Amino acid sequence: MSTTLRAVRGDRASAPRPVESIAGTSMIVMACVLVALGAIAFMIALLRGDAATAWEAYLVNLLFFLGVAQGAVVASASFYLTQAKWGGSTPYRLGEAFAPFLWVGFFLFFGLYFGRAAIFPWVKHPIAQKAAWLNIPFLFARDGIGLGLIALVSSAFVRISRSEESRAWTIATREIEMPPHSIRVVAPLLAVLYAVVYTLIAFDLIMSLAPVWRSTLFGWYFFAGCFWSGLTAMALIAVLLRRRLGANNLFTNPTVMHDFGKMVFAFSIFWVYLLFAQYIVIWYGDLPVETFFIVQRVHHMPWSPLSVACVVLIWAIPFCALMSVWAKQTGWVLGPVAALGLIGMWLERYVLVVPSLSPDAIPFGPAQFLISIGFLGLFLICAVPGLNRVAQAATSGEPAGDLGE
Amino acid sequence: MAAAPKIPLDPSFSDIDRSVLGILRAPGLLYWAWIGFCFTLVGIAAALWARQIYSGMGVTGLRQPVMWAIYITNFVFWVGIAHSGTLISAILFLFRTKWRTAVYRAAETMTIFAVATAGLFPLIHLGRVWFFYWLLPYPNERYLQPDFRSPLVWDAFAVSTYLMVSALFWTMGLIPDIANAREAASGWRKKIFTVLAMGWQGTDRQWRHFSMVYLLMAGLATPLVVSVHSVVSWDFAMAINPGWHSTIFAPYFVAGAIFSGVAMVMTLLIPMRKLLGIEDLLTPWHFDNLAKVVLLTSLVVSYAYITESFMSWYAGDPIEQTMFHMRYFGPWGWMYWVMVLCNCVIPLLLFSPRIRVNMMALWIITIFVNIGMWLERFVIIAGSLTANFEPSQWAGYRPSITEIMITVGSFAWFVGLFSLFVKFLPIVSMTELKEGIVWLRKALRKGYANAA
Amino acid sequence: MSTISIISAFADDADCARAIDALREEQIRDFNTFSPIPSHKIEHAIGRSRSPTRWVSLTGGITGVLTGLAVTIGTTYEWRLNAGGKPLVSWPPFIIICFELMILLGGIFGFAAFMLFSGVPATVTAPGYNPRFGEDRFGLIVRCDEAEAGRIESILKESNAEEVVREEAPLR
Repeated sequence: MSTTLRAVRGDRASAPRPVESIAGTSMIVMACVLVALGAIAFMIALLRGDAATAWEAYLVNLLFFLGVAQGAVVASASFYLTQAKWGGSTPYRLGEAFAPFLWVGFFLFFGLYFGRAAIFPWVKHPIAQKAAWLNIPFLFARDGIGLGLIALVSSAFVRISRSEESRAWTIATREIEMPPHSIRVVAPLLAVLYAVVYTLIAFDLIMSLAPVWRSTLFGWYFFAGCFWSGLTAMALIAVLLRRRLGANNLFTNPTVMHDFGKMVFAFSIFWVYLLFAQYIVIWYGDLPVETFFIVQRVHHMPWSPLSVACVVLIWAIPFCALMSVWAKQTGWVLGPVAALGLIGMWLERYVLVVPSLSPDAIPFGPAQFLISIGFLGLFLICAVPGLNRVAQAATSGEPAGDLGE
Repeated sequence: MAAAPKIPLDPSFSDIDRSVLGILRAPGLLYWAWIGFCFTLVGIAAALWARQIYSGMGVTGLRQPVMWAIYITNFVFWVGIAHSGTLISAILFLFRTKWRTAVYRAAETMTIFAVATAGLFPLIHLGRVWFFYWLLPYPNERYLQPDFRSPLVWDAFAVSTYLMVSALFWTMGLIPDIANAREAASGWRKKIFTVLAMGWQGTDRQWRHFSMVYLLMAGLATPLVVSVHSVVSWDFAMAINPGWHSTIFAPYFVAGAIFSGVAMVMTLLIPMRKLLGIEDLLTPWHFDNLAKVVLLTSLVVSYAYITESFMSWYAGDPIEQTMFHMRYFGPWGWMYWVMVLCNCVIPLLLFSPRIRVNMMALWIITIFVNIGMWLERFVIIAGSLTANFEPSQWAGYRPSITEIMITVGSFAWFVGLFSLFVKFLPIVSMTELKEGIVWLRKALRKGYANAA
Repeated sequence: MSTISIISAFADDADCARAIDALREEQIRDFNTFSPIPSHKIEHAIGRSRSPTRWVSLTGGITGVLTGLAVTIGTTYEWRLNAGGKPLVSWPPFIIICFELMILLGGIFGFAAFMLFSGVPATVTAPGYNPRFGEDRFGLIVRCDEAEAGRIESILKESNAEEVVREEAPLR
């Protein structure tokens, strides 16, 4: 993807020159170093016989970064579905910025095949009753097809969304107009696929690690969390770019930042609602097949502080810190809250996955840290072209906000 | 009922007032006949309830193990209907949705009457209704208090809070409109409006506090509405009954509530806009968007059906699997499949933009949705009880005439109250329509008005 | 010198807001408006701080949570009854009661604050009120010295006031 696309210029004389690029070679080099470190650490861990914990870290990071990337693209699609024009085209570009990682995640998913014995307990101890669903060929076929399909549809969506026609729609406020026809086909399709595929991923890559356990809400809970992490990553980038893009970029508009803050606030409450909805049903029913999963994470060491930390980082801090309008508009409040929230979401994936596999101790050492850093590097490399588009859109001086009807 | 004056393509504030206040002219004989019909049915239901109180629950079809059936189904159904009003008035307000202004008053009025209807059913379901206040904590010499760990007590708190907060929110929105109606009215109406408007004059001071509190109320009503149907769902999900005990119940019931509620809004508004001659205020643009909400929630509900079925198969619990087998293929299996048809298949038609602006098609689809959602609650509530852990206890259920007529009476009560409201208070918010007048103009310009 | 009132009517809230801006620039602050809709432009021009009702509502919400905690925990200890093997103080269900009471009292307090601060119910009609201000006109009432009246009237007219009327009695 080229970073030197024709910049879109505003027609106002005072509009600043669009910024063409904010992330260049130095960032890519740095990210490549991170990836290399991660890959080396992963190899060493495998060679040293720590395969199990290395694969756990691999799975946790795959789930987290895939969730952020897909959640953000779906956020962009849902902006079309709700005909959101509060920030011109920039929020759309922001949501699509991480899309290339979807393909990387798709290929990395098949990497799990090599770690199947370490990851899926039912490979070593097959469960006859559930063999029809929990078997390796079917799992990789259904999830692989699902992830491939959604990556394909997401790419198509991103391409259409970046067209001039779609951009013109995002800033046109004079009349009631539907988004371009192709968007109206692809965006709902993407939303439906997202719910289906990410439910499958949650059931197969998290729930099946404790094969006896089940929770009907778990899929919804997982993809709602992914959606929130996507939105939060978008808000974080908005805060980070606000200073770097010079005067009069879109992110200096308090109304727009207020909207980002509101979304982080509202969907964090939604996440904790879905968590509570599962917790109270399981707590009240008190059925052993359901409670053991919760008891292990909430009441047993070393997991209980981590579980509490997840709720604090994802819900309590955003809820308390972002209650006022001022806080939502203030970069040094929204930024750290979003960053902590993303850490919380990473931790939540960790707490969902790892206790099922390594119940007694937290297997997090330098190797696992470096693997995580490596995934971050991959994610950043994928995001570079998209972030440059965000910078262009945010500095192009388009009218923002739907107040100017 | 004569048509209210039509409004031009580029309406002004006065055009809106003329059109909305035009509805409030004295109603005709046909209207009173309709009201009389509704309240006759209510009277029959009330008489049957009186008989039930006098002679006991034996007059219903409730027998072990199906002790929750039509009454509780109606309770859940009506609470669900209420949800669309709060969705449109509060949640969409926070989302700055433009199309809500024309329909929100009608939807919110439905909320009030639907909660008022729903609240009756737990009482009707009580064998000794005169002890209903035991649900609430109050000081007494026996030191007895409700068990706050019981979902039924949560329900009492949630539903009464919902009724109270919705009523306050609704009243607030009505104040400026009634003040406006006061100026145009005469005679006894003017006197009543003068009292109800509470001296509203629209000064900067009044608006300043009004706007803030309205926003606050919307912010409070949004989590409230989600909590109410969650709590209703937990009446079932807390038990370990197969078919009831499922973590997805809370958000799935909320989505189902909005689904049925918005469908009911459309079922009522489509004939109403014609009868009252306000087609130019409630344009197909508004219905297009309402239909999208119905479509979205239909997909969510379908997702929940599929997940539940999958999980009963995946979990491999034989009792649960038997229950689900009974649900699909048992004696009441036809209800399940009618429900799937009404809730999951027919709403898919709304993917077509042409159908979304075709009033007749929308009306028929939403009626199917109402039927489907009523059946859904019945299948979950009564159906899950027929086939329980002990096969020796399995039994069917046959509703008695008392239960059927009280159900019919509840529909008459709801529709009757709504019909009364329509002719006596402004059913479309003039204030909010004026605030978003540019959007009404856009909608009319787009020529939607002529599409139907 | 006696105080008089000048009543003006605007067709558009932007004009009304412009007039208010001009008046404030001239250090004239004794005025009030009537409008059929809550206009952000007018509110912005008057430039008051945000309504304090939100603090009242917040107080109500906190009161609700505390009431919920007191009622649930208090009554449980008043009569220690084991129900279903659940702990006496079971926080998941109690959260629900606290939540509902938070919303209930937050709403009631908010509504009460709205009535209190905005003077509703009002038994006296504010001076200068005209039914058209509830329909489609924005009213601006300025109270000033007779000497200043001419200057103010010209400001109002410059801002596209449709009508400017002088009331000799000081309307309060």
